[in-house]
Amino acid sequence: MNEVLSIVEYLTAYKLDYEMSQADLYGNSGQYTVYPTSEEELSEIFAFVHKYQFTVNIQGAGSKRGYGGLIDQADLLISMEKFTGIVEHQSGDMTLTVKAGTKLEDVQRYLEDFNQKLALDPFMPHVSTIGGVIASNDSGPKRLNYGSARDAVIGLRVVYPDGKVIRTGGKVVKNVAGYDMNKLFISSMGTLGVITEVTVKLRPLAKSTATCIISFQGEDRNTIYSFTRNLLNNSIEPISCELLDPIVSYKISGINKLSLLISFEDVEKSVEYQIKYIQSLIEEEMNLIVLRNSEEKQLWDRLYQLPIDKEAEHNNGEKLFAVAKIGTINLNVIDILLKVMEIRRNTNIDIYTHGGVGHGLMQLYIKGEEREMIETLTKMREVTNENGGYCIIKHLPLAQRLVFDTWGETKGAHYLLEGIKTKVDPKKILNRKRYVGGI
Amino acid sequence: MKKWKLKTKDRHIHGLSQLLNDKQAILYHKEDLISYDCDGFTIHKSLPRAVVFPHSTEEVARIVKYCHDHALPFLARGAGTGLSGGAIPLNNEVIISMVKMKRLIDIDLDNRRAVVEPGYVNLKLTNQIIERGYYYAPDPSSQYCCTIGGNVAENAGGAHCLKYGVTTNHILGLELVLPNGEIVEIGRNGVLDEPGYDLLGLITGSEGTLGIVTKIIVRILKNPEGKQTVLAYFDDIEDGSQAVSDIISAGIVPAALEMMDKTAIEGVEAAAFPVGHPKDIAAVLLIEVDGIAAGIDEQIEQILSVCRHRNVREVRAAKDEKERAAWWANRKTGFGAMGAISPDYLVQDGVIPRSKLPEVLRRINKISEEYDLRIANIFHAGDGNLHPLVLFDARVPGETEKALAAGSACLKVCADVGGTITGEHGVGIEKREEMRFVFTDEEIAAQTDIRSVFNTDNLLNAGKLFPSPSRCAEVKKEIKEKIIG
Repeated sequence: MNEVLSIVEYLTAYKLDYEMSQADLYGNSGQYTVYPTSEEELSEIFAFVHKYQFTVNIQGAGSKRGYGGLIDQADLLISMEKFTGIVEHQSGDMTLTVKAGTKLEDVQRYLEDFNQKLALDPFMPHVSTIGGVIASNDSGPKRLNYGSARDAVIGLRVVYPDGKVIRTGGKVVKNVAGYDMNKLFISSMGTLGVITEVTVKLRPLAKSTATCIISFQGEDRNTIYSFTRNLLNNSIEPISCELLDPIVSYKISGINKLSLLISFEDVEKSVEYQIKYIQSLIEEEMNLIVLRNSEEKQLWDRLYQLPIDKEAEHNNGEKLFAVAKIGTINLNVIDILLKVMEIRRNTNIDIYTHGGVGHGLMQLYIKGEEREMIETLTKMREVTNENGGYCIIKHLPLAQRLVFDTWGETKGAHYLLEGIKTKVDPKKILNRKRYVGGI
Repeated sequence: MKKWKLKTKDRHIHGLSQLLNDKQAILYHKEDLISYDCDGFTIHKSLPRAVVFPHSTEEVARIVKYCHDHALPFLARGAGTGLSGGAIPLNNEVIISMVKMKRLIDIDLDNRRAVVEPGYVNLKLTNQIIERGYYYAPDPSSQYCCTIGGNVAENAGGAHCLKYGVTTNHILGLELVLPNGEIVEIGRNGVLDEPGYDLLGLITGSEGTLGIVTKIIVRILKNPEGKQTVLAYFDDIEDGSQAVSDIISAGIVPAALEMMDKTAIEGVEAAAFPVGHPKDIAAVLLIEVDGIAAGIDEQIEQILSVCRHRNVREVRAAKDEKERAAWWANRKTGFGAMGAISPDYLVQDGVIPRSKLPEVLRRINKISEEYDLRIANIFHAGDGNLHPLVLFDARVPGETEKALAAGSACLKVCADVGGTITGEHGVGIEKREEMRFVFTDEEIAAQTDIRSVFNTDNLLNAGKLFPSPSRCAEVKKEIKEKIIG
């Protein structure tokens, strides 16, 4: 008779690299953590857990542990942290295949030598793995021009919850053979399978770059609205057009004013022309600073690091730190941002935000005690609904996620999402309850 | 006035007609149905049961629900320009023609979006907004008549998708009727990253097998400030191919990078839009750069220099918009132009890694010799999307089959060098078997599993996209059923 092998017996028998792990503030962990280094290992682990219906959580390097999920610990946590490396770089074809645990920053650093880049600007690139960025479809202000993972990924290798390996897409930049299965796994929060290899298309590194900070003296809606609208309707081609509230502006540039962050990447003549153009638009009540080289890089680094708050992590949970993502119709970013400033003025809560007026995605940060935190998040969800959008929580401890739903209300087509999950993971062993509507 | 009456005993025609606000918006006589027995893929023909012309989402939903409740196969059709047979009624389907749903519902320039009905013609959108400084980027060669609904179904590309992406990169929201008749909205208000699996991305390019799109929110772009087009003639096709790689390696992202070979040039010069390409050259490259005007000259200089390095016979930039437009008309009508030098032609649509271009062109040349059929090559060289055009004469017994086999052999070459079997035309019925060149049985099953979530009874556009189950898979299924049973 077959006895159910325990996870430890299995991990030991197969000489897998594992450790016993602790539950933590953010949940989404496992009783044991295993660090596979090959697709075969991963596939065998899944064949095993699938057979005995053990539950599995999956993480890249763990930077998104506070992003969704209602379960403290699964039986096993699979960490992709050691699943790293470049698999294939076809420099002439401008395509790259890389293992999913590779940090985004490492990918970019590797590509720099070839004057190429992966056109993606997620937050925390120094700790985020490419697999995690894809599974969450994370993107930053440069989404305006770069697009997101759904625009850059051309192929994936995925281990299904039963251990089979499925390839989606391919290695060429244009492909409509069969369904666009890549899309199913991008932004699936790891609920459908484990991405092991990613093939992306690349872009040349720009020959010249610069970032303009336009700061407004006042906070008058009409001034900001008409200036922004006019800016977007001109023939310049900004890579980002991000509106920063005074707090974010101060944190990344030292300027305590409501500001617009406009960056350019092109040949030098074009960048310089566009900067001149911006200069010609500046009115009396505004100020313009142009950043280049290391100053420019440092500004952007600070912006991408905003979700990491050392202070919040070291105050023993007295004050909570939440990060939220807001999606809205492009120019509504202005109204939502002004609303956030109003909430800050009228309450004690530490809340700040920035958002892309050309793509409608915002990042929101809140520090405060539990009760005021939940109240504020509830309010923000109302505000974004009124603006035709949504507000989801990218980072919050498990205890508060159990009180305030990360994803908000489900939509009419939700049963299709459930149907997809059930087809791919019928035993519901993978990243259980991590996603929308408890998928 | 004589009262209009349906002249058929088919109770379902009566049933469907009852669901339409305009009871006459249905075709069912054989002579009327013949126009719907195929689309742009004319090799395979099959008659539909009827063709209905709804005017609204609610009508579409009623028709779909009727078909679902009565187990009638059905499919949606746009302008019928598809090149892989996606709209061919293989199973005597009720065709739901979307051509009457052709309104432009909304334009919101500030937020860069437009809302259209699926029957709205692609080029009309750009024509509507170009004066105000905007355009819709996906530009398939058939854009003057193909519908945006069809573009969504096929995830259509075009000459300019090298820089701007294909249809899927420009779709923000969809309203669709599911195969059970339910109406759902995805990407509400066109807001990015709606929480949940990316159904928008999954449905775009699903060739009308997951639902029928009834409303589309598309992204619109600002016209580039400057634009310049270069024409380059090469005596050696390998030099032309190398020039393509060199341009990309130089860090230039052209808006378009097109190539035609000798046979293709012979065709376009004999057809309606000749521009005087020399007959004795091996390849012509059409390269377009757009963006901020101040930065364009530098890129053009670089392109000219790259071409000279690769032994170009002649290279020059268009002297004005008229010349540029003439070059593009010559290129964009390239497929049809083959009619001027051959009674029939078959369009193929493989994609390869750009660097394999010289090797693949040699191998296609070999296929041409082997099958004793001329093959012209017109392609989006910048993204490695080849369009081998197999020239043949359907009147010669056996030649159609030979052409199909030669086309398939070209796709095999593309798959063998790490590419794929279709870049923008779709699988349809034409390339169902070729899906095996790129996917395993398990990978195909993973896709049909997803289909079954939406299209539970497989009444919507059945028999498309996927090969019939392989013997091996059938045997496996039988065994499984025995075990379960």
